[in-house]
Amino acid sequence: MGRLINTLRLRLMSVVLVIHAALVPLLYLGVTAIVTDGYAELFVNPARSYSQLVADELEAGGADDFERRAAERLDSVLLTGQVVFAEIIDDKRRIHGSLPSLTAPVDPPDDFQFGAHGDEVYYISHTVKRPDRSIVLRLGFDESPTLAQIREAKQRVLIAILAFTAASIAVAVWLSAVIARPMVRLQEAAKRVARGDFRVQLTMSSSIREVQELNHHLEHMRQKLVGTNERLEREMGEREVSEAKRLDLERRLLHRERIATIGTLAGGIAHEFNNIMTPILLYSQVALQDAPAGSALATDLTRIVAAAHRARRLVTGVLTFSRQMDLQQPAVFALRPTIEEALGLLRAIVPANIEIAFESQDDDVAVVGDPSLLHQVVINLCTNAYQAMSPSGGRIAVKLSAVRNPPKSQLPPGHYVLLEVNDTGHGMEESVLAHIFDPFFTTRDVGEGTGLGLSIVHGIITSMGGVITVESAVESGTMVQIYLPAAAGRAEQDILSAGGAA
Amino acid sequence: MECGVLLNMRRALQLFILLCLAAQACAASHTLVLVVPVDSKVSDLDSLTVRKLFLGLPVLVDGSLLHPVRNRSDAELDPIFLQQIVAMSQSAYDRQILNGVNRQGWLRPVEVSTTSRVLDTLYADPNTVTFMWLHEVAHNPKVRVIRVLWGD
Repeated sequence: MGRLINTLRLRLMSVVLVIHAALVPLLYLGVTAIVTDGYAELFVNPARSYSQLVADELEAGGADDFERRAAERLDSVLLTGQVVFAEIIDDKRRIHGSLPSLTAPVDPPDDFQFGAHGDEVYYISHTVKRPDRSIVLRLGFDESPTLAQIREAKQRVLIAILAFTAASIAVAVWLSAVIARPMVRLQEAAKRVARGDFRVQLTMSSSIREVQELNHHLEHMRQKLVGTNERLEREMGEREVSEAKRLDLERRLLHRERIATIGTLAGGIAHEFNNIMTPILLYSQVALQDAPAGSALATDLTRIVAAAHRARRLVTGVLTFSRQMDLQQPAVFALRPTIEEALGLLRAIVPANIEIAFESQDDDVAVVGDPSLLHQVVINLCTNAYQAMSPSGGRIAVKLSAVRNPPKSQLPPGHYVLLEVNDTGHGMEESVLAHIFDPFFTTRDVGEGTGLGLSIVHGIITSMGGVITVESAVESGTMVQIYLPAAAGRAEQDILSAGGAA
Repeated sequence: MECGVLLNMRRALQLFILLCLAAQACAASHTLVLVVPVDSKVSDLDSLTVRKLFLGLPVLVDGSLLHPVRNRSDAELDPIFLQQIVAMSQSAYDRQILNGVNRQGWLRPVEVSTTSRVLDTLYADPNTVTFMWLHEVAHNPKVRVIRVLWGD
C-alpha cells in the first residue's frame, strides 16, 4: 500500500486533490460573496434612492389635502411592483393607500443590510419634515426576486466550480500520466539493463526537459556499461583462450618431457644393448662360417644370427625414437614415389578385403630428410590401420597434398606437405589416444606388439621438423595428419631468414 | 440631626435626577439629528440640500459655504448615513464623491472618527454641518439641532 501511494502519479494526484480540496471552498465562498454583494448593491442603491425621492416629494408638497395626496402617492409607490409595503405615520395616525399592502409588523425596524432579516422585505423609513410637523414614511421593498437571483447565481457558480474541479482533476490525471509514462518506460528499460539486456536503448520521446535529460544521462550510462561489459567479455574470452593455450602448451610440454625422458632412458639402454649385441652377432657369424654347412650347429648359429639381427633392428628403432641414431645425410626427396613404394609393399601383406587408396594432389611435393625413414613411417601407420580393421575389411586412404600456413599453432607459417592416413577401423578411446606415442604402449596382447610403432613415427616426424596429430573416435575410424616442411618452402624460408639476418 | 436628614434627601434627589437623565439619554440614543454650531447662520436645511451637502456639492447659505463633516465615531452611523442622508450604497457614494472631486472640483466631505473631534470641528467653524446622536448634543449649548434625520 505504501509503495502504491509513493508512485509519482498518485503523488501528483494527491497534491492536486489536496489543493482543490483547500481552494475550491475558498473559491466558492469568495465568488458567492462577490455575487451576493453585487446583487445587494443592485438592490439597495435603487431602493434607497427611490425611498428618498418619495420622501422628498412628500416633504416638498403643500399642506393642502396632504392626506389624500399622500395616499395616492403611496398607491403609485405600490404600483411599481418592487414596493410591497408603504405607509405614512402622521402623529401616530397611519396612512395607507387604497391598494392592498403587505401586512407588516408594527413599526418594523429599518434594514440597513440586504437580506439581514428572514422576512425578505427591506424596510426603509424616512423622517419627512413638513412645515407644521414631522411625519415618517416607511416603505418595504421585496427582496425575494433578488434573493432568488442570488440563489440561482450561487448554483451556477457551484456548477462552474465543480466543472472546473472535474476538468482540473482530468487534466491532472492526464498530466500525471504524461509525466509518469516516460518515467515508467525508463524504469522498465533500466530493469532490463540491470538484468543484463544491454541491447535495449533508453530512448524516450518526451517533451519534458527533465525527463529528456534523465533519459540522456541513463542512455549515456547504459552505453558506458555496454562498453565496459563488452571489454570485460572480450578480456574474459581472451583469458579463456590464453588459459586453454597455456594448458595445451603445458600438456604438450609434459608429454614432450615424458617422451624425452623415456627416449633418453631407452636410448641409453639401446646403446648398451647394441654394444652387447655386436660381439654376439660378430662371433655368431664367425662361428657360422666355421661350422660345417648343413650341420645342426650351423642351423643353430643361423638362428642366433637372425635373432641378433632382429634385436639390432629393435635397437635401431629405439635409437630412432630417441633420435640418438646417426641419421643419413638429409636430402631433398619426392614423397610420392616413396609413399607408392611403401604402399606397394603393404598391398602384398594386407588382406584382400582391405582397400588401400592413394591420392596425390601435388606430385611435385618434396621434403628434406631420409626417404627410408619416411618409408618406415608409411609402413607403420598403414600397418596400424589395417590391424584396426574388422575381419570384414575396410579402407585405408592415403592422401598427399601441399598446404600453406597450416592451422597448427606449433608450426610457423610457410609451405608444408600434408600426409593424411585415414582408416575405417574401430577407432580409439580418448584414454588410448592420450598414450599412443608413448614407447612400449600397446593395446595388443603380450608378445604381439612392441609398442614402438607410433613412437618411432613420432620420433621420425619430429626429427624432420614436422608435426603429427591423430584424431579418432570409437567406431568412427582414425585420421592421422602429418605436416612436414616442404623442401621449396624450407629453401624459401632459409632465403628469407638469411635476408632478415643481413 | 435635621441637617443629616436634609443631606440624605438632597443625595436622593440628585440620584433621581441622574436616573431621569440616564433614562432620557437611553430613550434618545437612537435618534440621529443634523447639528450646526450655535452661532451658525443655518436655521434649517431640507433633505435635498442635506444630500447635496454630503455628496460634496457646494451649498451656500447667506453667502457662506457650508462645510459638511461626516461623523464616523460610531459604526452604526455609517449605514444610517448611507440610507437616510445620501440614499445610496457605499460603493455608489464612493463613486459619486470621486466623480465630484475629480470631474467637478468639489470638496470631499471631511470625515472625523471621534465625537470630541466632531465637536471641536463644530466649535471651530460656524459653517460646519454634521450629524450626531441626539443624546450627545441634547444639553450642549454650543450646538444647535436643526433637523431630525432618523429615529429608531
